[in-house]
Amino acid sequence: MKVTLISIPVRDQEKALKFYTEVLGFIKKKDLPLEGGNRWLTLVSKEAQDGPELLLEPAPIHFEPSKVYQDALMEAGIPYAQFDVNSVDEEYERLTPLGVTFSVKPTVMGTVKIAVFNDTCGNNIQIVETL
Amino acid sequence: MTFYETEIKRIRNSCYSNDKQLETVIATRNFIDNNFEKALNLDLLSYLRFTSKYHLLRLFKKYYGLTPRQYLIDIRIAKSKEQLKSGMSVTETCFAVGFESLGSFSTLFKAKTGKSPSEYQKEQLSRSA
Repeated sequence: MKVTLISIPVRDQEKALKFYTEVLGFIKKKDLPLEGGNRWLTLVSKEAQDGPELLLEPAPIHFEPSKVYQDALMEAGIPYAQFDVNSVDEEYERLTPLGVTFSVKPTVMGTVKIAVFNDTCGNNIQIVETL
Repeated sequence: MTFYETEIKRIRNSCYSNDKQLETVIATRNFIDNNFEKALNLDLLSYLRFTSKYHLLRLFKKYYGLTPRQYLIDIRIAKSKEQLKSGMSVTETCFAVGFESLGSFSTLFKAKTGKSPSEYQKEQLSRSA
């Protein structure tokens, strides 16, 4: 078995695609139409295009418990997923002027530095740098 | 303050309050990052930080979840991927990233990536062509 896909629940796939590619810098890998206007939409990171894919999944629109869970995580400030970065400070400086809001500013936690931002699609996302 | 922020504070106080230990493991990791191609061992790493070997081993594992040896191997494999992608031969890559025998390099590379170094290189070079 291999780990190749990580799913992120989003309220609006098109909006999520824009945010994850134009703001965060991911690259679109697969985009195929499914029924009812839904898409199988995956992204890869620019530095590791053969790495795992992120699936932007419209689960909260179609499955109420997914929405409930997503809302509860958002309310508690808990990140749904986390991504590795070379420098949390640099990403914070880059993303803030682009309108990204951080609920946790760059913070050292032992051997890592973390920050948490809102992905505008219903999730908190954590970025991590290993010190 | 959100639940998550409260938890971060709580966990930081309970798990990451020993600054001296943190300084030791972070400096050790940085040293490995900057010297991965050299002959590194626990004797040298502990000598640099004036700690006992087994204390350093325990601390590193406690804070990074890996032993220094496992971390070193991961770094070397990651660097060897870059070298193979850039077209360096398998033998040259093996020694450039600090492995001492071609056999152990190939075995580790295959175990970690699922491909032999030459298979990986062929695949990468054909992809960029």
